[in-house]
Amino acid sequence: MELAELAVKKALNIGATEAEAYIQRTKAIRVEFADEIENFVTVEPLGISLRVALGKKTAMHSTSILNESEIDEAVAKAVKIAKVAPDDPNWKHVNKKFGKAPAEGYYDETFEKLDYREIVENLKSAINCITKHDKRVKPIRGALAMSISNVSIANTYNESSERKETSIFVMMGAKAKEGMLESTGTEHWEARFWKEINLEDLAVKATEKATKFLKAKPIASGKMSVIIRNQIFASILGVILSGPINADWVQQGRSPLSNKLNTQIASENINIVDDGIMHGGWQTKPFDDEGHPTQKTPIIEKGTLKNYLYDTYTALKDNVESTGNAQRPYYWMKPQPLPSNLILKAEEASPEEIIRETKKGIYIEETIGEQLSNPVSGNLNATVTHGYLVENGELTEPIKGVLISGNFYELLKNGIEIIGKDLRNSEQNYSPTVKLTQLTIAGK
Amino acid sequence: MGEKAERKDTVEMEKILDNAAKLGVSYADVRYQCYDYEMITVENKTLKSYISRRLSGIGIRVAVKGAVGYASTSDLSHDSLNKTLNQAIKAAKSIKGKKQPFSEAKINKANVKSSMKIDPINVSPEEKVSIALDANKAAWISDEIKNATTRIGLSKDSRLFMSSEGAKVSVETTLVGLSHESVAKVNGVMERVPHSESMCAGFEFIKSKDWNSFTADISKLAIEAASSKTPPPGTYPVVVDPEIFGLILHEAFGHASEGDSVFTGDSVLQNKIGTQLASEIVTIIDEGIVEGGYFFPFDDEGTKKEKTVVVEKGFLKSYLNDRHSALELGTESTGNGRAQSFENIPIVRQTNYYMQPKDYKFEELIEDLDFGIYIRGKGFTGGQVDEGMGTFTFGVGPSQIINNGELTETVRGVVISGMILETLKTIDAVGKKLKIWTSVFGSCGKSGQAATCGLGGPQVRVGKMTVGGR
Repeated sequence: MELAELAVKKALNIGATEAEAYIQRTKAIRVEFADEIENFVTVEPLGISLRVALGKKTAMHSTSILNESEIDEAVAKAVKIAKVAPDDPNWKHVNKKFGKAPAEGYYDETFEKLDYREIVENLKSAINCITKHDKRVKPIRGALAMSISNVSIANTYNESSERKETSIFVMMGAKAKEGMLESTGTEHWEARFWKEINLEDLAVKATEKATKFLKAKPIASGKMSVIIRNQIFASILGVILSGPINADWVQQGRSPLSNKLNTQIASENINIVDDGIMHGGWQTKPFDDEGHPTQKTPIIEKGTLKNYLYDTYTALKDNVESTGNAQRPYYWMKPQPLPSNLILKAEEASPEEIIRETKKGIYIEETIGEQLSNPVSGNLNATVTHGYLVENGELTEPIKGVLISGNFYELLKNGIEIIGKDLRNSEQNYSPTVKLTQLTIAGK
Repeated sequence: MGEKAERKDTVEMEKILDNAAKLGVSYADVRYQCYDYEMITVENKTLKSYISRRLSGIGIRVAVKGAVGYASTSDLSHDSLNKTLNQAIKAAKSIKGKKQPFSEAKINKANVKSSMKIDPINVSPEEKVSIALDANKAAWISDEIKNATTRIGLSKDSRLFMSSEGAKVSVETTLVGLSHESVAKVNGVMERVPHSESMCAGFEFIKSKDWNSFTADISKLAIEAASSKTPPPGTYPVVVDPEIFGLILHEAFGHASEGDSVFTGDSVLQNKIGTQLASEIVTIIDEGIVEGGYFFPFDDEGTKKEKTVVVEKGFLKSYLNDRHSALELGTESTGNGRAQSFENIPIVRQTNYYMQPKDYKFEELIEDLDFGIYIRGKGFTGGQVDEGMGTFTFGVGPSQIINNGELTETVRGVVISGMILETLKTIDAVGKKLKIWTSVFGSCGKSGQAATCGLGGPQVRVGKMTVGGR
């Protein structure tokens, strides 16, 4: 019997009325480097997470030790906690719908066969690219992480479902120095397939970013139109919207989008979907972390809010179907409704065209701190570390060190002037380059 | 970790070190960890989740011809440990190293525990749930409160380090705390205020405090914030409270003082030892054991974490190092090699990083300011730093406008930003009261690893800070 099934059986044997077991076995490597490769880390994290219910009382316990006696102890601990938990009046049952959605492109079989030395050689030539490209530039600390993850989920109503995923993350950085001037440039990429990543290309882009910003300066405070590069706006989209479209936030009164279903919350040019089955997406998988099939869910259609994201618990509370969005950020966490691949649908304009149509404004290449934006109030904040002044349709002076702020919900209504065509992701968030009508800039 | 278990693991660990020597590695260390953790979440007066967790296993680090490889497993069977050792050696052999990867170090033998009267993991689940429920109920002070979430976090982290050089260091740290967030809506404006208190102690800390008034106060602040304005954007003099100043110092300066980003040139502090970086009233310390901070007597390379003076009277004195960065920089480890868990390799991290207090009372800090902002930490939402340039940005809690030397209205949605080397130079007054804090809820992230840190300082007046708001 598979271990997940065994754990479920053991829990039911000692008095649980329902049980769910989630096992994750990961093989991961991580290589840290600057101008040299510093170390090579290979780890095999694994763990089992148990959720048990005794009537309407629930609890979770997890352990990284996967042998039978530890499973016995873990099951006993989960049941012990559940016994004393207060009733949850909204608890109905664990997931009862299983199956695989037609998701593709989330497993790269070359990962298993990849020789460590091939990874090392690829990285070395990319690192060399940085110094070769420009004498003023040195590589700074970067990392490459790859993982193969096996998940199996079993519960009272289902024998185990299994899936296998791969992912790769790369961060490369460069620092330029000229006299007293210093500047950095970093590039990151998250993908499912080894061949999708072009390390040398990332190295060259980071190098160019570093040198171009040597003379960057803040500009004066004011209000102006702002063009935001795809990956940066993708990250902002995720920071602001992931919470408010989560059915749990809506049910708990945290979401500013409560009671807004089927109302106009954005202008007609805005289309946002959560797509769990897109080819090769960062969070594409055939079923979610409760075993429920994933799907494509429209969130905003022509400006109208269409859906929230559900897991089993929140769906049963609202008497709807789960949207297959149960996720556990780590195996030991409780499943919660989170976006799979959250996508702002692309339109026609290229970034060059968007810049050409802008008389005066700024173009934002890189920011820090957009995570500080407040999803509840919609306050959007970020510090621009790499940007350009846009004058008469051209990028002119490099700028840095200015804060942008605005309200995301107001921007959705009438502030997103142009949506580009160059869709790109920052983790599970996807956006093209966009032009916003007006943002406040705090500068000198 | 019981005594019996400890003896058994010690025997297994010695075997790994023996095998490693037979396989020709020039250095090996083995880290065993057993980490117990519980998180109880109450949202809107009902128990939302009770999560309990055990993480346990062994990590093996080896050096082969100067190249460093690492592997870990939570399967402690003899075969699995041998496989893991071979995996670490294979990883090391895939890269070329230097002559040696680590600096010389003193070989320590020690067994230490943080103070703990009541083991938090053994307290009955009922008692923990009822404290969290009561605290949550106390937060509902008015109709304007729309959501209230209370958490109790408990952790016990036992680590044993052994090396081929003969070190054997065992450290057990217990950390507990309570966090709360209230969301208020006033005239259509929603604001949230998160806050928490943690202590390296047992469950006695949770029992000793009045959490009901703690959560009610957070609700009051959330209502006040939701009914206030955002600050006018621009650059102003500010007074920063210890919570947020500690955070700025840790993120924007502390990381730059970590030796691994110094030798690679990532840091703005490269080649700056002996130069003046801050005004003369600024002294910055990293220390393993301080009141209110995280208990960290030895690092994950078995090195003792003593008091490191990073900046003394404005001058940069020392970087923070593990044994690798120390070698690269031609110095000794300062005991700052830390790993999130046995599944990670140690990297240079801060421990308790803080600024030393001086002589100003709070009234004296604000009395000379015609216009400024008192930047508060309670309710802060996070921050980020571009280390290479020293740019930082933080979302801080509801703060207060300083007008003609006095605190006036509260402002919400405050975001501050600056360049740390400029900020440190414009510090013109430092308060007298030191406060250091740590947290079982949040941690600092670097290179994909989380670490619990201690942060703090006194109240500090900064001449120029960029403030954003809407």
